[in-house]
Amino acid sequence: MSAGNESQTIESATTTIESAPDQKTRRYDRQLRLWAKSGQAALESAHILVLSSSSTSASILKNLVLPGIGQFTILDRTITEPKDAGNNFFLEGQKSIGKPRAEEATRLLLELNDGVQGHAVVNKDVQEVLASADGAEWLKGFTLIIAHNVEKGALEKLSDLLWADIKSPPLVVIRSAGFLAEIFIQFHEHAVIDSHIDTSPSLRIDKPFPALLKHATSLDLENMDVTDHGHVPYVYILVRVLEEWKASHGGNLPRTTDERKAFKTIIGKMRKKSDEENFEEAEGQAYKCWSSTVVPGDIKSLFTADATASPPHTKPFHYLLKALEIFTTTVEPHTLPLSATLPDMKADTKQYVGIQRLYKDRASEEKGIFKDILAKVLKDQGEDSSLIDDETIDAFVKNAHILKLLKGKKWGWIDADKGALSEHAQISSKQLGIHLALSSLSSLQFKHIQSQSQSEFAPTLEELTAAAQAILPEGVELQDGDLNNAVGELARAPTADLPNTAALLGGVVAQEVIKMITKQYVPVEGYCTIDLVETWTGVL
Amino acid sequence: MATTTTPNATDWPGRYYHIDQILEKAGPRTDPEWVPGDKAKEWLREGVKVLVIGAGGLGCEILSNLALTGFKDIHVIDMDTIDISNLNRQFLFRQKDVGKSKALVAAEFIMNRVPGVKVTPYHGKIQDKDEDYYMQFTLIICGLDSVEARRWINATLVNMVDPENPQSLKPLIDGGTEGFKGQARVILPTITSCYECSLDMLNKQTQFPICTIANTPRLPEHCIEWASVLEWPRVFPDKKVDNDDPDHIDWLYKQALNRAQEFKIEGVTWSLTQGVVKNIIPAIASTNAIISAACCNEAFKIATNSAAFLNNYFMFIGTDGVYSYTFEHERRPECPVCGGEALDLTISPELTLQELIDLLIERQDIQIKKPSLSTPTKQLYLQAPPQLEEATRPNLEKKVSELVPPNGDVTVTASTLPFSLSLRIAYT
Ligand SMILES: [Zn+2]
Repeated sequence: MSAGNESQTIESATTTIESAPDQKTRRYDRQLRLWAKSGQAALESAHILVLSSSSTSASILKNLVLPGIGQFTILDRTITEPKDAGNNFFLEGQKSIGKPRAEEATRLLLELNDGVQGHAVVNKDVQEVLASADGAEWLKGFTLIIAHNVEKGALEKLSDLLWADIKSPPLVVIRSAGFLAEIFIQFHEHAVIDSHIDTSPSLRIDKPFPALLKHATSLDLENMDVTDHGHVPYVYILVRVLEEWKASHGGNLPRTTDERKAFKTIIGKMRKKSDEENFEEAEGQAYKCWSSTVVPGDIKSLFTADATASPPHTKPFHYLLKALEIFTTTVEPHTLPLSATLPDMKADTKQYVGIQRLYKDRASEEKGIFKDILAKVLKDQGEDSSLIDDETIDAFVKNAHILKLLKGKKWGWIDADKGALSEHAQISSKQLGIHLALSSLSSLQFKHIQSQSQSEFAPTLEELTAAAQAILPEGVELQDGDLNNAVGELARAPTADLPNTAALLGGVVAQEVIKMITKQYVPVEGYCTIDLVETWTGVL
Repeated sequence: MATTTTPNATDWPGRYYHIDQILEKAGPRTDPEWVPGDKAKEWLREGVKVLVIGAGGLGCEILSNLALTGFKDIHVIDMDTIDISNLNRQFLFRQKDVGKSKALVAAEFIMNRVPGVKVTPYHGKIQDKDEDYYMQFTLIICGLDSVEARRWINATLVNMVDPENPQSLKPLIDGGTEGFKGQARVILPTITSCYECSLDMLNKQTQFPICTIANTPRLPEHCIEWASVLEWPRVFPDKKVDNDDPDHIDWLYKQALNRAQEFKIEGVTWSLTQGVVKNIIPAIASTNAIISAACCNEAFKIATNSAAFLNNYFMFIGTDGVYSYTFEHERRPECPVCGGEALDLTISPELTLQELIDLLIERQDIQIKKPSLSTPTKQLYLQAPPQLEEATRPNLEKKVSELVPPNGDVTVTASTLPFSLSLRIAYT
């Protein structure tokens, strides 16, 4: 290691001393460990709209108010009935009966967190809001909209409105009755830099950068002190053995089982003592030499993503991708930028800090090259260089191996796609059964409302089955019993918002909303169906 | 607080409109023998007595779900008091409650919010209660973060089963979470796999070798461990670290930071120090809601028979999409709690008793912290009382093969666990 590097290490290690965390950090400690300050800031600047103050809606809100969502608005003109007071924890029993349900729920939800603002709009419903141009604009102004058991007519209009404008917020649609439920997120595009996917970046052992190669090959292992020998990081050992291997095997990596065995034997023979853990680790990690480091397929496929029809909020991500593509095609050795984070390995302090420094220096060099490329991309696109801040670039480079770009679909797409219906009838018949049953229930409910009947909505098993089957293409059937099991549960409890189902949906939906807003972790793609008779979830 | 409630006195017409749809009609998958209607409702609302263990992240959710579902006689045990870091998810507590008993505050909140529900709190340890106490409940739901406490209640409930008395079999529903992940399971003691059967599914806690901490630190965690394990006892020989005292954490943080600078290691922060010292597991309201709902839904199904209950394990992962896995966890015949068969252990004849003890602590399927060992004829090593510990201590240096004949039996016990483990020792 050069003297220059030594002094750098000392400088960077001299950090300021933090004082004990403040009240707010202490309150949010257990979640900050999941989504950090950046995620928390995103949550705190969000304003979500919730259509209805049902037990399910209140449960969702509870799980968003607690972690500190900025604001919420409930749009619901329902007056609390005795049945509402029985299943909703955010109503005060009989005391709430006769009062606007959204106002009661808002008041009680706000008790959970002083840092949150809540509003109840109780003088109109979503149909009325949709009917005016102002209303439509108002809806589009939210960060995200949640719709639980919104009647079919209004839901379709809302979905159409939001889908027609690429700048619209995501729409989370939840339908539930009794033990069954379904969740779908309608969005155009969703980009995730910090997906938290548990995959390690490449250490580039097969394509070592000059400083790594130089250090690994210049180590005098034979004359090394026995203690030091037992603390040489496995990365150096592998780089060294692999270089020699390539030199004697026409530049190829160990390919066959015999070759790989031979490769490990070479490592084993390098031991000075039988109990050297670093050599044991090197043998264990030898698989890292079996394949060459390339741009992972998942990331490469993002380079072909169509950026022309992207919403404004994912534009920066597409520019970053463009820069990444140029980086991987023009900069040797045609891989993703090197990651500065090194896993722990058997080593003494000096050797570990040393190899850490080698990786950090190289990573920062490559990040510099990436930044130059990005600056040029932005300039070519006529964008200001301030569009993407350094923090975002750092995060992008750090997570370059686990980036995610989700292309969303419109609510209801599956019902219009005969191919998808036929395929799912084969491969995910139970899940499709739940989706069809809930679709049929909402169609019948819509008819019931339109008929202005005064009677209680009580669809028969036959009506539900017929409406469900009508969605399926001709000749397509679900596997034995799957449709009946789902439809039968809905005939049993067509209007039941069960406390446990509501609570479970409250959790699953809040997780998804947090993922959408923080742009961390990966939201669900497709229809997430839930069966609480057999206790499973499945995605269509 | 604990006034007696006349059933139905506070029930208003329509209160159970939602739940009653399930209880008035069978579904396609309901047991054909099941009789829907008033009997089922009465039993749920008047006959069932539920115990909730833990009034924390899961407990708060479990209590509110049970109350809304119509369970009216609920007991809750928790030994903890409320901390500010609980408030991001334990929604029955407010800033003004910090420092008070979780069980008491939670019980009072539920009784205020859901009229007619009686919640009986106990601020203390589950180990304070005996079999007679646990015998009074219809079922037990556990929302704990302690492995030790779960092993205790699991073993206690398995031991309680008397084949002559069907009432002695208490279904145990257990939930647990970590970040966006969690699991819920139903344990029928002696019938399904028990908590002990699945001990090897737990994530292994990272233990750093003491020589790394003392001599060759590489990670910020090594520096923090050095501060708490080595430096604190050296400077304060008479005082233990209080994980909840910010001044203690602050001291550890500063020591760790100094050491990190000395070794040029980056990354020691206040938050990491606290996380390592307290072994903090990230926790959020939404995951607790999912797991508690799954637990209470099973409690509802078990109590009413309105649908078949989970057999027997539900795992949920929300980090990458929505993923879950429902499966039957199998019983382990050599489970020390419900299995009955001895665990075969083949060791080197050179292995000392101390090394055998280390092995038992290490093994993922055993995890006994301070084991005492004996054979049918002699005591090998006892952790307590002090006189016996001293008398048996010389054995630690001896080879096991000098103390136990081939295929000999060894019984392992620990004061924290209400069961013993039988080993059959063979030599290589
Ligand atoms: Zn067992």
